[in-house]
Amino acid sequence: MRPTFDEDLATAPPANAGARGARAHLEAVLNSYSEVLFLRGPAMGLLILAVTLSAPSVALSGFVAVLAAYGFARLIRMDVRFLESGFYTYNPLLVGLSLGYLFRLTPLTLFFLVTAGIAAFVLTHTLFSAFWYYLRLPVLSLPFVLVSSTAYLAAGSYTNLYITGLYPRGTTMLDTALPLWLGGFFRSLGAAFFVPSVLAGGLIALALLLRSRIAFLLAVGGYYTGTLALAALGGSPSSAFQNLNAFNFILIAIALGGVFLVPSPRSYLLALIGVLTSTVLLSSSEVFWSRWGIPVFALPFNVVTLTFVYSLGLVEFPWMAKAVGTPEEILDEQLTHDLRFPGSTRTLSLPFAGRWTVWQGFDGPWTHQGAWRHAYDFVITDEHGDTFRGDGSLLEHYFAWRKPVLSPVRGRVERVVDGLHDNAPGSADRGNNWGNLVVLADDAGMYVEISHFAQGSIRVKQGEWVERGALLGLCGNSGYSPQPHIHVQVQSSAQVGAPTLPFSFVNYAAGDRHFANDLPAVGTRVESMPPEKGLESRLGFVLDETYRFRVRTRDAARFPGATQDTVTFTVRMAPDATFQLGTEHGSLAVVTRHGTWVAERLTGNDPYLRALFLALPSVPLVARPGLQWQDHVPAGTVCTGAKRAVVRLVRSLAPSVGMVTVHLAFEDRDTITGRVASPLVSGELLTRVVLHPVRGFSSIQVGTLLLERDDDVA
Amino acid sequence: MKAAYEKPAILRLETGYLNKFGNSPMYSRKVRSQIDAVTIDELVERFGSPLFVFSERTLRRKYREVHEAFATRYPHVVQAWSYKTNYLKAICAVFHEEGALAEVVSPFEYEKARALGIPGRDIIFNGPHKPMAALRRAVEEGAQIHVDHLDEIQDLEQLAAELGTQIPIGIRLNMDTGIHPQWTRFGLNLDSGQALDAVKRIHAKGRLVVTGLHAHIGTFILDPEAYRRETEKMVQFANLLQERFGYTIEYLDVGGGFPSKSRLKGTYLPPEVAVPHIDAYAEAITDALYANLAPGVFPRLILETGRALVDEAGFLVTTVVATKRLADGRRGYVADAGLNDLFTSFWYRFTIETDREVQGMNEPAMVNGPLCMNIDVIDEGTLLPPLRRGTRLVISPVGAYNVTQWMQFIEYRPAVVLVGEDGSVELIREREDLSDIERRERLPARLHRP
Repeated sequence: MRPTFDEDLATAPPANAGARGARAHLEAVLNSYSEVLFLRGPAMGLLILAVTLSAPSVALSGFVAVLAAYGFARLIRMDVRFLESGFYTYNPLLVGLSLGYLFRLTPLTLFFLVTAGIAAFVLTHTLFSAFWYYLRLPVLSLPFVLVSSTAYLAAGSYTNLYITGLYPRGTTMLDTALPLWLGGFFRSLGAAFFVPSVLAGGLIALALLLRSRIAFLLAVGGYYTGTLALAALGGSPSSAFQNLNAFNFILIAIALGGVFLVPSPRSYLLALIGVLTSTVLLSSSEVFWSRWGIPVFALPFNVVTLTFVYSLGLVEFPWMAKAVGTPEEILDEQLTHDLRFPGSTRTLSLPFAGRWTVWQGFDGPWTHQGAWRHAYDFVITDEHGDTFRGDGSLLEHYFAWRKPVLSPVRGRVERVVDGLHDNAPGSADRGNNWGNLVVLADDAGMYVEISHFAQGSIRVKQGEWVERGALLGLCGNSGYSPQPHIHVQVQSSAQVGAPTLPFSFVNYAAGDRHFANDLPAVGTRVESMPPEKGLESRLGFVLDETYRFRVRTRDAARFPGATQDTVTFTVRMAPDATFQLGTEHGSLAVVTRHGTWVAERLTGNDPYLRALFLALPSVPLVARPGLQWQDHVPAGTVCTGAKRAVVRLVRSLAPSVGMVTVHLAFEDRDTITGRVASPLVSGELLTRVVLHPVRGFSSIQVGTLLLERDDDVA
Repeated sequence: MKAAYEKPAILRLETGYLNKFGNSPMYSRKVRSQIDAVTIDELVERFGSPLFVFSERTLRRKYREVHEAFATRYPHVVQAWSYKTNYLKAICAVFHEEGALAEVVSPFEYEKARALGIPGRDIIFNGPHKPMAALRRAVEEGAQIHVDHLDEIQDLEQLAAELGTQIPIGIRLNMDTGIHPQWTRFGLNLDSGQALDAVKRIHAKGRLVVTGLHAHIGTFILDPEAYRRETEKMVQFANLLQERFGYTIEYLDVGGGFPSKSRLKGTYLPPEVAVPHIDAYAEAITDALYANLAPGVFPRLILETGRALVDEAGFLVTTVVATKRLADGRRGYVADAGLNDLFTSFWYRFTIETDREVQGMNEPAMVNGPLCMNIDVIDEGTLLPPLRRGTRLVISPVGAYNVTQWMQFIEYRPAVVLVGEDGSVELIREREDLSDIERRERLPARLHRP
């Protein structure tokens, strides 16, 4: 045999890889269709593809353009993971559809389609990068608008194309059977895919309704708001309802109301405002563009959505969606996320050991004002609230005096002042407000300033690297400080006295209650909770480890799918470098962040992982019996099907409706008990997790479902 | 009332000399008419004399004081109540309520802690004598075991093999911390390499996992620097174990030995001057931790404070039952409590207070207990005003080691009461009677009196 044969064999994919590959390619193409309406998933894509088939030329042209773009992307070796989402190929699809709307498929138009599809892809790719880098904005369908407009302009001079390919269109019975106000909505919806018929639009509307009630309602609301505005301005309701470009209203409403903003009355209002502002743009573009024979396409949608999103981003609008998915999923995910992680992303550990009391917080009444309002002061108090013993006339009387000050972050020492004297109690050094201080540069790009150290007590030097929890020095009374206390603030530069930025504290306890990331109120006694080594290693999952559990008892009512006898969780790493516990049906992303172990996100549909998520959404890594904490899980964790759909829809108006709170506590050093409190859960749902002495869990119980560890990792 | 007749005696009066304590020892009075607002009169009326009185307020205050001193300097501070210091149920229960683990040194103390409802995992099992049955129970109940010697390592390895598990253990170390006496009797010596050898052996066998280190350098240690050296050495050893054997040292148990405000015999200065504040110990220990631990790593710091928590909360109320003039001219008093109740008076000189103001000049006096034994001396020579029969003396601090080491010898042991934080007084141990002492005795039938 010739040696090259072996080489061929070596590079040949395994037998079933072809089938899987073909499926991936197909899904990538189908996702291009669903992405137009911001709804992921090949099933939705397939349905839209089927709908476009009612106009075969349109359907074929769209398909050809997508294929061309997809093929080109593969040719330039674009990573298949990016392609699969359909994110880069929906613009070529729209270009194809728009050309198919004008021309019948002939060899000549085929050539035109392929080039236009590739052009759309390249433009998407380019604009995506530029938009994201400079503006943090998505490209939406701007490439489609540009390429299609260009193609339409170009087509004007391609006489040959017109002769052979002009595509005749007519209306069907159905289009006229419905009243104008109703048919107009469906035709507009269909027009988004260049099949402006009642049948096509009706099917898409049905699919939209099934996939997302919120998106459907937004589509309806957006359409009628925009169209009625047009009718009022133009004076002719019938021409308004016949305006196919009204699909712009639908897209704006969905994008602003439920995709870029978290669905809520606030987002709905903004969506309608967006729709109303677009009417002017729509009408003006119609007038302007028609001079050149170009339709408006999705220009108003792109302009309005992009400017709105950018403007909201500039003011750091707090209800921007960070999750992806259908509006319902975004809502559930983000409402839960906001409840779970209420603090900021500028996270500090408390700069001390033991229980200290918040003396002054943000916007404090004495000194935390103006540019320096984001700061915290801590003192030590006894049970009577006093900060000193004796009469408080000497620094030695103060509990905080010369107590260790620990680094709240990990970073480099930028600045040290150590030589200022400590004031006698009651007096303050007005010449050197900040006293003896350390400024640290955190990795995350912020600067942390800690003030009022005792004279000569600072143990770190400029340029030194410090870990979270390292000893910086001792608490003193230098600078503008009438009694020994620790002052901490976050600022945007290393300059002493620079304006402050908001931040939050991670991993602390107030009484018996643990907080993962929050801001304690003035007067609260708080305690830093650095993680315990032992517990950290027990919950520090190692890649490829497996944990087998025997299902001892079941809970058919709450976990109907849990019918196996054993279940095995495997530790895997996701492409975004998060670790997850996985089964073949789903995965639970877990992470240890600043001393709290967190089950971040449940994906897939595995009842056992769902049980684990409910029983253990998070664990502070300090096994102190009696320590309590609270967490939340998405409504989708406790209900499914129609109930879930209703809950999520209502939740956009009343966020508390679907709230699922889990109250947890360390019963002893190994056992975590919990109670799930939610109007969605009937009766009392109790949970109990026993930690394995070496790694993972010995048992997991939720309701009557009980999993017991069945292997020995020791 | 007519004053009692007393035969005159001639005493040399010394006044006006310089002394650094400011007031004249001839006229200074120590009076304690009440404990936590409950009068001594009421206590004796209700519970008799002699009587041990404990102040719950002081117990809790001392516990919190020690805890705050350490916990405001270092995270993860755990106290373990040293049972042998005072294992009266009520006393232990108060400390457990404050959050203390139980530190026991024998099967008896272990059983006591379990009977109080303390789960195995909250018990630290120390001591040189842990019989196999007790060890097995401790392992099965998840107690924290600190091994004292190689033979115990062998016992534990055997148990681990039988139970088919790995057993987490702590190692008791002894070392030179620059003080005398050096306690080398307990644990494995660090300086000679004995401890490291033991760990090598444990590691080679693989049945035990070292998760903690323990040391206890002595008792009534007046030099905080000794603890600094102890902590330094322990952390360095922990770092070594981590690097060489991969053991995660989850806790460092620096033991106890912190002094109370008691006066050790032979010390010149009063305890208020001689005994450093607990803050000084906390500063030395935590300083050494920060200086030697990897930054941001905080193994649990365990303290086995005994005396410093309980000593000052305990008082012994006793009554003068007779007064004498001794042959050398000193006053002599017989009290109804003595060495049988105050075992620690061998080493400590207590503060003796009267329960009321007594007129007259102080004069040298000897206070004896009720035993018909020459050694029964509470104080050989103290200055007391002329006391009359029936006067009550309040002796303190006596909370540590007395109600565990007391003897049933010649006399019954007295009752013990606890003055609650709200001023209520509860009996926590009844006065003994004959049945207590004879319950275990068996009189052969042939010796019965007809």
